[in-house]
Amino acid sequence: MKLVQIAGYLGSGKTTLILTLVKELSGGGSKVAVLVNDVGEVSVDGRVMEKYGLAVKDIGGGCICCQVAGNMRKTLELLAKNYRPDVTIVEPTGIAVPNAVREIAQTLAPKNNMRIGVTVVLFDTSRAEKLLGYDTLKRLVSTQLRDADIIALNKVDVASNEKIEQSRAAVQQINPQAEIVRLSNRTGEGVQTIAQAVREITMKA
Amino acid sequence: MATQTTLTPRERVMKFLKGEEVGRPPIFSGMGNVIVPVLEKYGINFAKVHRDPALMAKAAAGMYREFGFECAVVPFDLGVEAEAMGAKMNFYDDVDGLLYPTVKEKSVKDVEDVKIPADLAQAGRIPVVTGAVRKIREELGNDVAIGTYILGPFTLAGQVKELDELLEDSFVEPEKTNVLLEKISDLIIGVFKIYHEAGADYFTLREMGATSDVISPKSFKSLIKPHLIRIISKMPRPAILHICGDTNSIVEDMAECGADAISVDQKNCITDTREKLGTEVIILGNVDPIKVLHQGASKDVGPAVLESLNGGASAVWPGCDFWPEVPHQNMEEYVKALKS
Repeated sequence: MKLVQIAGYLGSGKTTLILTLVKELSGGGSKVAVLVNDVGEVSVDGRVMEKYGLAVKDIGGGCICCQVAGNMRKTLELLAKNYRPDVTIVEPTGIAVPNAVREIAQTLAPKNNMRIGVTVVLFDTSRAEKLLGYDTLKRLVSTQLRDADIIALNKVDVASNEKIEQSRAAVQQINPQAEIVRLSNRTGEGVQTIAQAVREITMKA
Repeated sequence: MATQTTLTPRERVMKFLKGEEVGRPPIFSGMGNVIVPVLEKYGINFAKVHRDPALMAKAAAGMYREFGFECAVVPFDLGVEAEAMGAKMNFYDDVDGLLYPTVKEKSVKDVEDVKIPADLAQAGRIPVVTGAVRKIREELGNDVAIGTYILGPFTLAGQVKELDELLEDSFVEPEKTNVLLEKISDLIIGVFKIYHEAGADYFTLREMGATSDVISPKSFKSLIKPHLIRIISKMPRPAILHICGDTNSIVEDMAECGADAISVDQKNCITDTREKLGTEVIILGNVDPIKVLHQGASKDVGPAVLESLNGGASAVWPGCDFWPEVPHQNMEEYVKALKS
């Protein structure tokens, strides 16, 4: 089982991208599971995703603490054992730190035939000023971006070129190593690039 | 007056938390203290233990009976107060594996939705916890210190209100969040009073959501700290303040909140914390409950305990709840290291 994370702050377009990726990966013959670490969204996402025959698990919680981390660890273990997906896409809650999820997976990997795939962090270019402007939010958003392998500059179809370029410069400064991809869930721009990255890492793993 | 050698476990814990000399630090915690080796021995189902005072008491007391902990701590999960505020829990009765209960339906959209139940002592599972406290006292008498905990206002707010919305409000409309935290703080103070009246000895305020991983030190100081100060000033004593995750930049603020002790997890550099806070502050921590106690080799447990003590911990606490599936041998090594 390979673990892929699609992370990002509230409203960054995670769910839409996940649905697209699921179709892509399932279409290619992979068995895909989606783990939604957010009680608030699971009732909606659960129904939507179950249309695609996925195993959706609510690991819930709502607090960043050991019990939630433990529950996630246990749920991944149960998924690997009972459902045996090729790929599990984790959508952490909007305030989760991707590295925490990666650490959980790393502790599980040796015993569960689990491999760590790519971490994609979405950044809503139409709200760049807000996301990086407020003290409270900037810290969290920056932490999320720093943990990314790929930063997807999302909503490029609605943001101005100036905002997109400002976003690119800002995220690059926070995480110079990450690959930066322009993404529009609406027009499909960038989706194939991310799907390919997920696939490649999936194949490599 | 009792001498060091004749201290009961309860006396040791209570004197220690008052800053008195007790020789060896007590073997205790103020957080989730339930483990599978005890549950299995007593035939207790994990999903049910959170809803039955007798089972909860038995599992908590088992840490004293089976492993020599000098405390019994209830509850075990993080949903008691949220449930009392109307949130719906998932206890995972049908899952073939151990999962902590989680909130499946939040109850607060706006500040107006926060209501302190008229009969708080009977709200949600609060009577389960108070029932367990009384049962433990009945069974173990005054030998063992009984600990209870409640989530801090920001963490509890995240249990009853969507986290993303909470965070967004925290910077867009901080005053709105402030009012929310004020109301939740009143509830927390009320529940602590109820636990105290039931017979609990020491009290931990667990504000794990306020870690610097998520909340900047500046926001912690302006948004959260004032509420912690107010709660702690009204809490029964001794009171302990715990925050998970990165606390390196806020330990001074934590100490200024006025608790009798502070507790930090493995992300905290306890040596630096000791240096910052001086010798008088009681610091509890910070053995990694997952990497060391749950997944580590038993030979590494003792050194980890010593590392915390040598680093400056006044007594060793796990950095957070024990993950219940801690191996029996690791727990034995943990207690052995603390006793030596």
